[in-house]
Amino acid sequence: MKNYAAGSVLALVAGLGFAPMAMAEGEFAGVTVEAKLIGGQQYEALYSRIADWEKATGAKVKIISQKNHFELDKEYKADIAAGTTGWCVGSNHSSFSSQYPALFTDLTPLLAADTIAAFVPSNISAATIDGKLAMLPRAQFDVSALYYQKSLYADPAKAEAWKAQTGKDLAPPETWDEFRDQAIFFADPPNFYGTQYAGKDEAINGRFYELVVANGGKMFNDDWTPAFNSPEGKEALQWFVDLYKAGAVPPGTTNYLWDDLGNGFASGTIALNLDWPGWSGFFNDPAASKVAGNVGVAPAPKGSAGIRTGWSGFHGFSITESCANKEAAASLVDFLTNEDSQKLESAAGPLPSRTAVWEYIIEQAKDDPYKSEVLAAFQETAKTAVPVPPTPYWIESGNLIFPELQAAILGDKTVDQALQDASDAVDELMRENGVY
Amino acid sequence: MTRAKLPPWLLLLMPAFLILAAVVLVPLLLSLYSSFTPYHLTRPETLWKINFPFNYEKALTDLGFWKAFGRTVLLLTIALNLEMLLGLGLALMVSKVQRGQRTLRTMMMFPMMFSPILVGFMFKFIFNDNVGLVNNALQSMGLASTAIPWLVDGNLALFAIICAEVWMSTSVFAILILAGLYALPQDPLEAAKVDGCTPWQSFRYVTLPFLMPFIYIAMAIRSLDVARAYDIVQVMTGGGPAKRTELLWTMIGRTGYVDARMGYANAMGYIAILLSIAFTVYFFLKLQRARRELGMED
Repeated sequence: MKNYAAGSVLALVAGLGFAPMAMAEGEFAGVTVEAKLIGGQQYEALYSRIADWEKATGAKVKIISQKNHFELDKEYKADIAAGTTGWCVGSNHSSFSSQYPALFTDLTPLLAADTIAAFVPSNISAATIDGKLAMLPRAQFDVSALYYQKSLYADPAKAEAWKAQTGKDLAPPETWDEFRDQAIFFADPPNFYGTQYAGKDEAINGRFYELVVANGGKMFNDDWTPAFNSPEGKEALQWFVDLYKAGAVPPGTTNYLWDDLGNGFASGTIALNLDWPGWSGFFNDPAASKVAGNVGVAPAPKGSAGIRTGWSGFHGFSITESCANKEAAASLVDFLTNEDSQKLESAAGPLPSRTAVWEYIIEQAKDDPYKSEVLAAFQETAKTAVPVPPTPYWIESGNLIFPELQAAILGDKTVDQALQDASDAVDELMRENGVY
Repeated sequence: MTRAKLPPWLLLLMPAFLILAAVVLVPLLLSLYSSFTPYHLTRPETLWKINFPFNYEKALTDLGFWKAFGRTVLLLTIALNLEMLLGLGLALMVSKVQRGQRTLRTMMMFPMMFSPILVGFMFKFIFNDNVGLVNNALQSMGLASTAIPWLVDGNLALFAIICAEVWMSTSVFAILILAGLYALPQDPLEAAKVDGCTPWQSFRYVTLPFLMPFIYIAMAIRSLDVARAYDIVQVMTGGGPAKRTELLWTMIGRTGYVDARMGYANAMGYIAILLSIAFTVYFFLKLQRARRELGMED
């Protein structure tokens, strides 16, 4: 799962000035809004603003649960099963939201049209499931760009060896083929690896998904039959296999998740690292990272179809269908995702989901070359970012796919066999659930 | 008209019956019922649709399920035997200590005080291929020149998991066996010494038979623990990679809570319980035999 718990971040933007709230004084006096919110240091700064909303509206917010998204996901499922969905506001994530079609209400009638129009259109489109706006995105937009060690590209001996090997100048990779070749070229195991990848759960499925798309393929057909057992899918899986076979990735990479990757790159033993924006400050912080001052950031490379990889996701807030006072809940959600809230959140590193806040943070960062480089790389990648397929079976099918991807990477199965087995299993899942 | 009175013994037992029914029987029956349905957590209406025997057929014909079943039996067998041998050795050594025995006994119990999740994280770090203690130690001592993928290779990963299990739970055996050693009557040992038995013969034919009931009790307790091993494995490998360390409960946990297919997960759970029952019955039969051999009443 994407950067739900990514580590510390450095302020990208400083000096915020907050505009006064556009709320009627005391309009929800006496109302208590129960909320289940994602917990974690990087998410909680925003919650300090809740007191301002309470003061302005006269309502009270009672946080009844605060957990990471994996735990919230289990809790929401248990709530649906037990029928205990009387609370009002819940943190949501684009990768999970399609699993709860009946839990959350459509936000469109509860919000002003110009409020919704102020968000990045692709974010609103990804937050809309079956025509319902299931969540309003906060400033926690995630897409991955390429972090690399700059010194590797400034080393004349390496540049010469690369030129001799490929006939090309040594520069940060623009395609996934170049990425693989350079990772193998830089690798010197067990002390230094060319790259690494998250090797399990939705993390590897997401990477596989974005590579399939970048190669011109897709995960599912329009009728939700699996479509990844295709030449594009095989090319994508072969990329993971090639790197593992060549020893260009740490041998334990199939067990790695985001924290392992972030800490691995910061340890200085990894040349190229596709990672989330939340790590940018951490990587360049001398107290936390051995590569501080040596970090370059480039847009994500392109696949064989010339498409940039851009598996994306974002956090947001939803309102339950059975909430007793949806207007108060909508006011809170609107407040937590408004411009001031997004400026506050993105000041710590995460990317916003409002067009005006994007412009604001770029302007704020113009005097800092590293921050500007980070924002430029992520903004370029965000242009072509794609959310996960909007099926309630994304996580469930992923649990069938990733062990097969691992089996191919570790050499237990061929690429063809692994994808065939994964495709058969997903097909069976879809049929069992009456999808087709 | 006289009111029908319940016999006093039933009346007195009633609170116990009611509590047991509420906390054990009802959840058991509900989960058994849901195993006959396609119950999906996010679609509560599926609880009212019977699809028996679909879930059971699916589990019983799933090769992955049987592989996980076999791996759980293998883990159980190796972990239990290792813990028994190490626990026996530890108990014998501690029983010989003259000074500071109480402190040693307390120290021996430290690993049991840790949460299994914490133990999982600790051993995950120890066996990490890149920054882990084991690989760094092996490389520093010149015993390995490459990073050994402890948590990736199927056999090595199982070994790493067994290490964590053994580290945490050997003291269960040690404590129970130590209790047995304290209760050991000295007369037969002295008689054996007078008859000229070697220390090994005294141990093999006097001490060990007396300890066997304690060992079987520890084995029965631990077999239930290991048969539902989840926390440590989930943290260390999550059952992977490529299902190489998949155990019954990592599989069932994922199916039930992540995939939300509670009906199918419960069906697998009920089949898995057979494993626990089989091991428990086996150890109780062995326990009875050991007690009979010692002339104890059943």
